[in-house]
Amino acid sequence: MPIKIHRKRNKKLSKKERIQKEVSTFNIPDEMLSDSLKENVEQMKKVTGNSSDLKIRELKGNDFVNLTAVYIDGLVNNQFINEFIIETIFNNIEPYPDLEENKEDLFERIYAEVVASGEVQKFSNWKSVLQELMGGSTVLLVDGISTALVVDTRGGETRSVEEPGSQVSIRGPRDGFTESIQTNISLIRRRIQNPNLWVETMKIGKVTQTSVAMMYLNGIANEEIVNEVRKRLKSIDIDSILESGYIEQLIEDQTMTTFPTLFHTERPDSTAGNILEGRIAIIVDGTPFVLIAPAIFIQFFQAVEDYYARFDIATSIRFLRVLTFTISLVAPALYIAVTTFHQEMVPTRLIIAISAQRDAVPFPAFVEALLMEITFEILREAGIRLPRAVGSTVSIVGALVIGQAAVQAGIVSPAMVIIVSITAIASFSTPSYAIAISARLIRFLFMLSAATFGVYGIALVFIFMLVHLCSLRSFGVPYMAPIAPLSPSNLGDTIVRFPIWAFTQRPRLIGNKNNKREGPHQKPGPPQSRSLKTTADDQGDTS
Amino acid sequence: MEKAKIDAVQLFVLIVLFELGSAMLIPLAIDADENAWLAILLGMAFGFFLFLIYHALYKYYPDMLPTQYMQKILGKYIGWALGFAYSIYFMYASARVLRDFGEMLLSVAYRETPLFIVNLLLMFLIMYTVYQGIEVLARTGEILFSLLYLFAITGFILIVASGLIDITHLKPVLEEGILPVLKVVVTETIYVPFGEMIVFTMIFPYLNNPKVARKIGISAIALSGINLTIVMAVNITVLGVDLTKRSQFPLLTTIQSIQIANFLERLDVFFVLALIMTIFIKITLYFYAGVIGMGNLFKVEKVNQLVYPLGLVVLLISVSIASSISEHIKEGLKVVPILLHLPFQIIIPLILLGIAFLKSKKKSKGSSASDA
Repeated sequence: MPIKIHRKRNKKLSKKERIQKEVSTFNIPDEMLSDSLKENVEQMKKVTGNSSDLKIRELKGNDFVNLTAVYIDGLVNNQFINEFIIETIFNNIEPYPDLEENKEDLFERIYAEVVASGEVQKFSNWKSVLQELMGGSTVLLVDGISTALVVDTRGGETRSVEEPGSQVSIRGPRDGFTESIQTNISLIRRRIQNPNLWVETMKIGKVTQTSVAMMYLNGIANEEIVNEVRKRLKSIDIDSILESGYIEQLIEDQTMTTFPTLFHTERPDSTAGNILEGRIAIIVDGTPFVLIAPAIFIQFFQAVEDYYARFDIATSIRFLRVLTFTISLVAPALYIAVTTFHQEMVPTRLIIAISAQRDAVPFPAFVEALLMEITFEILREAGIRLPRAVGSTVSIVGALVIGQAAVQAGIVSPAMVIIVSITAIASFSTPSYAIAISARLIRFLFMLSAATFGVYGIALVFIFMLVHLCSLRSFGVPYMAPIAPLSPSNLGDTIVRFPIWAFTQRPRLIGNKNNKREGPHQKPGPPQSRSLKTTADDQGDTS
Repeated sequence: MEKAKIDAVQLFVLIVLFELGSAMLIPLAIDADENAWLAILLGMAFGFFLFLIYHALYKYYPDMLPTQYMQKILGKYIGWALGFAYSIYFMYASARVLRDFGEMLLSVAYRETPLFIVNLLLMFLIMYTVYQGIEVLARTGEILFSLLYLFAITGFILIVASGLIDITHLKPVLEEGILPVLKVVVTETIYVPFGEMIVFTMIFPYLNNPKVARKIGISAIALSGINLTIVMAVNITVLGVDLTKRSQFPLLTTIQSIQIANFLERLDVFFVLALIMTIFIKITLYFYAGVIGMGNLFKVEKVNQLVYPLGLVVLLISVSIASSISEHIKEGLKVVPILLHLPFQIIIPLILLGIAFLKSKKKSKGSSASDA
């Protein structure tokens, strides 16, 4: 028997090895270029499987060295290649004397004087050349030289900067991130014009070679957290990164939770604000969603508009959001608890009205609520997935199914419909989809506990949720900060939002020691002297 | 001991929540009739004294759990046995509070539900919390603290607004002199809730700044003592002494009598919420102390491995501790204070402090002699 076990283990090992091998075959050959142009072109064709979007443009002239430009169609800026590479080469290079001896010379000339581009690099190994080629650069191969000139010609079709779809605001900038990492970085840089805004780029994904950038303010971001983020990003070993969600799931602190421990946003202004608080933005090529670490719970209730509106309004809206989050969590559960266990809690007339409605309903409150909640979730999911033209049909059908038919058929009571609708509206008003969706899940736990133990069950699940929230950390920062652990100087941006002139400190647990955000005496007020007034003092206001 | 630190604010809220837990709900010191508030305040004064004993011990051994320093003070074997007894005592106390809670819940809302199930659910929550460690418990405490005070202040305003308070219920003051009050202090309020501070000897070593322990402890005891006094005074002014005495949970009866605008009435739910929040902290702290003590005595490296087995033990003890609620209450009033609270909360700490004092004196003498 033991032998068998042994063999099994061996087999497993070999499988692991095989997987590793499979991954490594995706690696590009790490060989040097040859000095024959023909061979190089052949090799390039071979490696790319002679793909049809690989464009090879041979530049030949009399008494002239053989040059070949290679690029991938669609990834490059065609106009740039025509004007600044091909045209300049034709225009600038006259027949060269003693070509065979002076090839190196010529190559250097092309590198230094002819190619009119901001970024030209020399590579002599296939790996870098192919990587740059796939990234949208143009490779210039010269006959007889075993080094390639790589010209940055990235371009092609990208979506232009538009208003973000998932985070709309009434007041505030209208630009949103796009799928291009360069655009996204520049959108942030335009907002924080400071050399201390550092960007580190790396390629993640063995096959996809996706660019991932870390962006933070040096001197304000906590170095330990920066190092931790870098370490976690570097340790990712996966074939593909197609969206920032991949990264999020690979670097979060705790996987057994429904709460998001990384924040994601489509808005450059929100990202800039977070970077200014000492957080780190992780930008992934190919997606408009930028990750922000570390994230705390209250952050998911902060919409950018809070900071643009005046503080009294912003504070009331924060309160409203916390309230709606609570409603979206416990409203159906409370209804179940009240109708099954604690009828005495409700004013007598109301409970009589509710029980009169419920009289015709064949199910217990829990089943009724579950039925409606699940119906609603199905409708919501269908509404998201369907093409826009059909989407409105779903909402009409849904309104009819939920609103009227079910009540008339006596399957659910009208009160239940109200509860489910309120819950739904409440969950829509949470600014972050990520936290709203986790509330959707936990709601069912609350309903179950309310059905079995009434308010006691709700309280237990509530405390359970609190303990769980307190146990979470995001890159070492406690999730419930600054409430637990309490840091009084940062409480101004939690359930309340203090006036901007009172935001003297950056978040203590997130940032560096450099926490001072604004100078003293920022509170505005009327001028000390009345000199701004045009009328004389003794005339009073009325004159 | 786990590698964790809590800060001053967290210790403060834990102490306050712990002291309020269950003490806020029961007819505390009602044997002193109209003078219950005075009995609580006097109990608080003795509570300061007890706390200073515990704190003095902590000052001698600031990074050690009591289970460790008992072995230093009394020698390896006696100290170990005493530490073991303390761990058992903490677990027994947590089982008692759990039973209290279960019985309360059954009599308030869930008459048909088996006690075991009610206790099981809360115990699961507590085991989960203790498994997460003291830091998580402390952070949860901070949030529960603010929620509790939100409820308390709202409740107080509602009681005042509904015009229920009748100050004459508190009169006459000291009708039969101070002696009956002192008797209540000595037999009841010293132990519950103030002597229960003994559990914090297990928590002090986690404090990140040992210097503030005394200030924090004193102010937390003062706040909780004053709050308990207010609660009891409100209960008596609203219900009168007789009704308070007969009521199993006077605070519940008080809350039930709130009636405003024919809408805000029957606010029992707030009582249940406050009850669960404070009791949760109380049982968790007791249980945590027991688990940490056991882990320390038996040199378990990962203490939270002990949580689930010991949790089940506490759960079973809580159900089998007494056959009925009256038996349970009788034990709690007559047997436990004398047989358990008095030695564990007062006598043993005093003896330990005495020996520690003598030892340190001898040591300093020895060191000064060697210096010379």
